[in-house]
Amino acid sequence: MTELVLHMFRATLSSATPIMLAALGGMFTYYANIFNIAMEGMMLTGAFFAVYGSYFFGSWVIGIVFALLSGLFMAGLFAFFAIYLRCDEFITGIGINMLALGWTTYALRSTFKVKGALISPKIVPLPKWNIPFLDRLGSVGNIFSGHPFLLYLAFISVFILEILIFNSKFGLHLRATGEDPETSRSAGINPIKVKLVATVLCGLLSALSGVYLSLGYVTLFSENMSNGRGWISLAIIILVKGRPLAILGLSLIFGLFESVGLILQHYKLAPQFAAMVPYIATLFVLYFYGKEKRKQG
Amino acid sequence: MKIFQRIAVSIISIISAFIICAVLIKIQNNSPIDTYKALYTYGLGSWFSFSSTLNTATPLIFTGISAAVAFASGVVNLGQHGQLLMGAIITAILGVYLNLPSSIGISVLVIIGGLVGALWAGIAAILKRFYKMDEFISTLMLNFIAEYFTVYLATYPFLDKKAYVPATRLIKRIYFMPDVNGLNFAFFVAVFTILISYWYIKKTWHGYEFRMMGYNFNFAKVGGCSVESNTTLVLLFTGFLSGLAGSLLILGGTQHRFMKGIGANFGWDGVMIAIIANNSVIETFFYSLFFGVLKNGAIGMEFETSVPSEFILFMEAVIVLAVVGTRSAVEHYTQWMRSMAKLRKVVSKND
Repeated sequence: MTELVLHMFRATLSSATPIMLAALGGMFTYYANIFNIAMEGMMLTGAFFAVYGSYFFGSWVIGIVFALLSGLFMAGLFAFFAIYLRCDEFITGIGINMLALGWTTYALRSTFKVKGALISPKIVPLPKWNIPFLDRLGSVGNIFSGHPFLLYLAFISVFILEILIFNSKFGLHLRATGEDPETSRSAGINPIKVKLVATVLCGLLSALSGVYLSLGYVTLFSENMSNGRGWISLAIIILVKGRPLAILGLSLIFGLFESVGLILQHYKLAPQFAAMVPYIATLFVLYFYGKEKRKQG
Repeated sequence: MKIFQRIAVSIISIISAFIICAVLIKIQNNSPIDTYKALYTYGLGSWFSFSSTLNTATPLIFTGISAAVAFASGVVNLGQHGQLLMGAIITAILGVYLNLPSSIGISVLVIIGGLVGALWAGIAAILKRFYKMDEFISTLMLNFIAEYFTVYLATYPFLDKKAYVPATRLIKRIYFMPDVNGLNFAFFVAVFTILISYWYIKKTWHGYEFRMMGYNFNFAKVGGCSVESNTTLVLLFTGFLSGLAGSLLILGGTQHRFMKGIGANFGWDGVMIAIIANNSVIETFFYSLFFGVLKNGAIGMEFETSVPSEFILFMEAVIVLAVVGTRSAVEHYTQWMRSMAKLRKVVSKND
């Protein structure tokens, strides 16, 4: 039983990471007042190109580089349509998500000649880090030690981003642009530039979240593998109004739900019900949030 | 003039989308000309291709109007996928067990399918109405839940043990929808639904309120529209349409049973169609046919060339972005040029 609980906590950290990375990316666009729903697509292309780089070059570093480049491209595309061509952000986001789904499914077929999922020993996963001291603590240390390094990066970046948003000039510019672009323009900030930077940061972080999905969480790429995580990230951002520390908290809660779902599969419950858990959890979290909001008036 | 401009923008951007895709096909060492030729032959080339294109377009018409009516009313229903699946599963299950004469049975199944779709959307409606939960996220989450739930039903309680994949049993033969020269009766139901929806949105009091809500939500509220109950009504109505799509997919499609993956991408395709059609019901109909050509042609494309049929998903997204991008760019920059011209006039008058 204790082993199961420990296993559950370990899985919680792991499941929380991709949601958290994408939510941190979406946080930038949230503060820049861009209604960005393209995280799902950015995550998916990131996951695909991470596997692509890792498969053909035999190195996870190249995988990450490829993923980041794809994130940059997707962010550029989003910015081109939403910021320069003045398309509706919602519509652009849906278009980009579909583009990502279409492209990755098509490329999986035409490049790797497989349908459904690519599983291959040629895909090099992210290395796992053992944290000194912690790995000597036995089972408790086991929860925290031996994860892919992106997980540690994600947790550390939460604190860095909290400082960046609330205690730096860039954060101030970002929030000011989001609040009122015209006023910030008169204060000498270029709102278009700030929005562009926010979109690019979102693209990069979402792509990293994709890398974690395909090279860290598992070592494969399957069609539509982001499976709604981008939407859950969006729900989290909206709920916590973008605050990084709160994103950390909620991502952990979602990670817990996901790992509970995974553990339920060991019992006599149909796997489909276990897979539903995170989505039902999202509805519940939204419900409690709504209740809280009504109490405040 | 306005209509002419819109058609021109659509045609130009669709052509440019085709050119972009041609370049990508060329990069992958395939022939764009052969690919497009196959797309045409299998999508439109003969009566056989054309009628099966219309059959392919049928579910798209329903999910398309569902999204279009919702968006035009300022309600973000993205739950077509889930509503379709729920409508499909209930039809597939009842189609095995229901004992009714043929035509009555079909009508009952269609209506029940639609109602179950409406009920599934109704969950989002309740959450919105009583708990102020954004329908945009709740309909999305309900998609995933419906997906897993229907697969569960087809894998465990209602599994056809002779099937190779999770699937329910074949529905009774008397409930198969008839074909007219290869064109399934479901298509006529779709056309009829288009006409009804158009009439409802354009000519009735409710439809007027819906449109006002989409046009300016606060204005509609101040103007005395019962915004809350209208939102509920829109969700139920658009859910009903998606449920119909699922029900007709079972009764009028080719498989006549619920299989894993039967919903394909109909939900998101409907959303994309509504977007490029600018939420107009009639335009949605034509774009659904266009997407039907692409989808049906895709099978031929895979058959004739080495381009996999999944390419069409990508192509649809390129078309959406091209149309929407060109439209808003044209709108924005013509407005800008007009205001510049006006400014110049004012300045030169003062000189």
